[in-house]
Amino acid sequence: MFERFTKDARATVRDARREAVSAGADTIEAEHLLLALAGRDEFQALGLDHDRLADALTEEDRRSLASVGVNRDEIEPPPATQARREPRFATSSKLALQRALAAAKKRGDRHLDAGHVLLGVLSAEHGRAARAMRIAEIDVGELREQI
Amino acid sequence: MVAAPPTFPQDPADALAAVGALRRLADRVEDAAVEQALADGWSWTEVAEALGVTRQAVHKKHAPRLRGIRGWKGGR
Repeated sequence: MFERFTKDARATVRDARREAVSAGADTIEAEHLLLALAGRDEFQALGLDHDRLADALTEEDRRSLASVGVNRDEIEPPPATQARREPRFATSSKLALQRALAAAKKRGDRHLDAGHVLLGVLSAEHGRAARAMRIAEIDVGELREQI
Repeated sequence: MVAAPPTFPQDPADALAAVGALRRLADRVEDAAVEQALADGWSWTEVAEALGVTRQAVHKKHAPRLRGIRGWKGGR
């Protein structure tokens, strides 16, 4: 799947893996791709902000738990030993990368770059990445037009 | 203190997002609880029984992570 990825797209996937590991996740999710993309200068210029999105993801968790009566501020599991195994790509990130490939194909681009990956992540209507972008008040439609 | 009334999201998108958030939280609680139990000298068999899963399942999930923690001598 990665043969057509440009250097930037590969770097994005590597950074997403790093985001997953530092979040203590054992899977690489679409939101980790989003955070990796938000760390890139070209997308910061379009209004993506890594720290703001990281805060929005925390807030998404807090709100979702509150909606079923769990107060996130009242539970803090003690830190656990992290897995040493390589994080796997989860369904959400696989879907984002498939959509990135589809976006590249649709545009007639032979290579898949970081912008295509962002288009892939932005295509999701549901899921944590989409919800965090809404909390961070990112205009996805406008962003998509600028890529 | 007055308890908050029972709550459930009206919007299915919110209810489904809550499932994900609960699972992520439950995974963190499980990681911490299993580690605590082993450090306290519980066997894998006891941890499995407490979680209501097979010993193989809990071992497969947590042993790679916890190999070598203090107080836990191996694969009992």
